[in-house]
Amino acid sequence: MTDSPAPPAVFADFVGGDRAVLTRVSVRLSAEGLDLSPPDGKTLIWPWAELRAEPDQADTETLVISRSGDRLSRLYLRDKNVQAQLRTRAPHLKRRDRAISIPRLMAWAGGAAASVTAIIFVLVPMMAAQLAVMLPPEGEKALGDTTFEQIRMALDETGLVGTPICEAPAGNAAMQAMYDRLNPASDLPYEVQIHILDHDMVNAFALPGGRIVFFRGLIEQAETPEEIAAVLAHEIGHVVNRDPTRDALRSAGSLGVLGLLFGDFAGGTIALFLANQLINASYSQSAEATADDYAHDLLDRAGVSPAALGTMFERLLAEHGDAEGIVAHFMSHPQMGKRIAAAQAAVVDGRQYGSVLGASEWRALQSVCGDAPKGQQDPDLPEKKPWPGSD
Amino acid sequence: MPPASLNVTYSGRKGPMLGLALKTGFLTIVTLGIYRFWAKTRLRRYYWSAIRPGGIPLEYVGDPLEKLLGFLVAVVFMAFYIGVVNLILMYVSFALLNGNVAAYLLSFAGLAPIIFFAQYRARRYILARTRWRGIRFGLEPGAWGYAWRAMVHWGLAILTVGLAWPLTTLWLEKYRTNHTYYGDLRFVQGGRRGMLFASMKHIYYPLGLSAIAGGMAAAFENPAWIAVFVLTVPWLVYGLAYWRADSFKRLTEAKQLGEMRFRTAPRPWTIVGIYALGWLLIYLVFTGLMIVIAGVVLAAVGGTGFDFENPEQFEPVMTAIAPTVVIVYFAIFLGYRAMTHAWITLPIAAHFAEVTRIVNAGDLHQITQRDRDEFAEAEGFAEALDVGAAI
Ligand SMILES: [Zn+2]
Repeated sequence: MTDSPAPPAVFADFVGGDRAVLTRVSVRLSAEGLDLSPPDGKTLIWPWAELRAEPDQADTETLVISRSGDRLSRLYLRDKNVQAQLRTRAPHLKRRDRAISIPRLMAWAGGAAASVTAIIFVLVPMMAAQLAVMLPPEGEKALGDTTFEQIRMALDETGLVGTPICEAPAGNAAMQAMYDRLNPASDLPYEVQIHILDHDMVNAFALPGGRIVFFRGLIEQAETPEEIAAVLAHEIGHVVNRDPTRDALRSAGSLGVLGLLFGDFAGGTIALFLANQLINASYSQSAEATADDYAHDLLDRAGVSPAALGTMFERLLAEHGDAEGIVAHFMSHPQMGKRIAAAQAAVVDGRQYGSVLGASEWRALQSVCGDAPKGQQDPDLPEKKPWPGSD
Repeated sequence: MPPASLNVTYSGRKGPMLGLALKTGFLTIVTLGIYRFWAKTRLRRYYWSAIRPGGIPLEYVGDPLEKLLGFLVAVVFMAFYIGVVNLILMYVSFALLNGNVAAYLLSFAGLAPIIFFAQYRARRYILARTRWRGIRFGLEPGAWGYAWRAMVHWGLAILTVGLAWPLTTLWLEKYRTNHTYYGDLRFVQGGRRGMLFASMKHIYYPLGLSAIAGGMAAAFENPAWIAVFVLTVPWLVYGLAYWRADSFKRLTEAKQLGEMRFRTAPRPWTIVGIYALGWLLIYLVFTGLMIVIAGVVLAAVGGTGFDFENPEQFEPVMTAIAPTVVIVYFAIFLGYRAMTHAWITLPIAAHFAEVTRIVNAGDLHQITQRDRDEFAEAEGFAEALDVGAAI
């Protein structure tokens, strides 16, 4: 039917893009393409290869046709037969002409990446370090209160009530006795608050404003009270050095930037990421080394062997192996061996070290969450989540 | 010569919109948000082309790559602003105000001018990429002028607990409309200062009545007052729809484009009906899905002989189904968005379009083209701040 000499013309609306005028043109299909004849007689020829159809149109009755290279002209074609002809004969009907050059896009992408990297890894950490020292103690405490609640919520699998705090008075008193024995008060502008959370994770961390959080998993893993005291001393080291405050300020800055990059494509994912970041706070290696050094001193002054920090790390490493540890603590892990050695080196030759808690206090601490002390546990329990490196 | 009066027809349909929103939403999630520039552009093409004044569809000619480029441009500048400002705001809020609610208000006030600025720039981009009859719309530059006016007017509205909101709406609409062009012709927003207060009457009345009823109920413990108090809630719902319909009518009919005027008659009850039906449908879909999922889970659990008496089994199960939970989360997010587009946004747009017509359009053919607004930043700033247009 296409080889008949003069196929009948159909009419369509046409806009030229210079005035808001709608022209009724007659449309003819020819060997070259579409012949558009307006009433004033000057025929336009739109070649087949240059025809484009506007995509995602709501009105399925009308095909909106444009010509490649002509940004403004449009043909509103309603004739079903001509539409069908166009779909078979115009080879690039669905092609989109690109107005943006790829090198230009790449240049800006590179600029954006460089800017984000510089801000997240240089500018924000520098400012956070500066501001953390300037933040008044009340401000730090308020910051710690907020993050503590966020973490409790994030760790609870139902996400509704928050992970319970272990309340047993005797156990908490034992923990407090341990803290009093270490007695770091002279180094701190505020009282340290120690919380034990009822969770399997083998971990402990410090929050801004002097909150230190232990998980039940860590207390169950320890074999002697000195190991717990060593971890406590290490976390006090972080508090004294303002590491948690610095980290919280840093993540406020860098998460804002990350939120900027990802947009709102999945609602609250960024918030989940924030909570996760706070729990797995990985401080720099020098911050860990400084906290370790502080712990060694504090333990030594309190008459507890600094080697306890090393034994704790060593045993966790032996029990849970490397693979999990590397995932959990990517940055600090390679230094584990060094940290164990440093703990052993901190032992002063010839000094007598005692124990940090009496036997009954130690039992009270182990059952602070209401569980039976270690050793009487059901052997069928699922494997504890290994989390060595306790930061 | 065009006819003197042009009706607006609407050709968008719920099914295709649901399909398009689901498809583009899915691609956005699997590309970690990168496809969102394409997704938004495609939805806009559909929404725009559905509106057909005088039978000729509007056309959205924005290019997704241009949006991506604009976003990258904005990131280069905004990453600095967001990173540093977030950090400083966090510092200030905790240093001076100990993290109370005032701090969040303060941080919003700090961001507000930038948000208004970004919204105006986004509107400029969208109008510059909108055409009808081949003629471009446009918005004159003036984002900072808009930002400070918006700050003043919003401040006034907040100080009067929202009572002055009609005045704020009118003033800001005047600024926006009086900077808007179709081709070479500028829009003019008329209307006296008090024009929109009557549109708020069905919000003022129930609020006043509920205040009286609430006070009386507190003083006299008469159940009748409580009943009156409860009955003001549906009135307020109607009042919100009335405000939307009536303020649109008053603003639209006071707009001028050369000799052209606009007539419109949106119906509050239709708006209430669209929302009620849309939310009912969304509710039914989610309830139905929950029943199906619960059935599948129960069948699976029954098959494996899961023992509900032993809570220790939950933990490995939780670990095993975690990926499923993530997928379900994204599915709910995606489904909710798509259904909102298809069952609320689209029918609302349809209603407002179908009740509107253009009168005195006899001189339409004299309107000439305006220059292309190049605008490399596109909607980048609004996109980065996540305050862009909903579609
Ligand atoms: Zn540490």
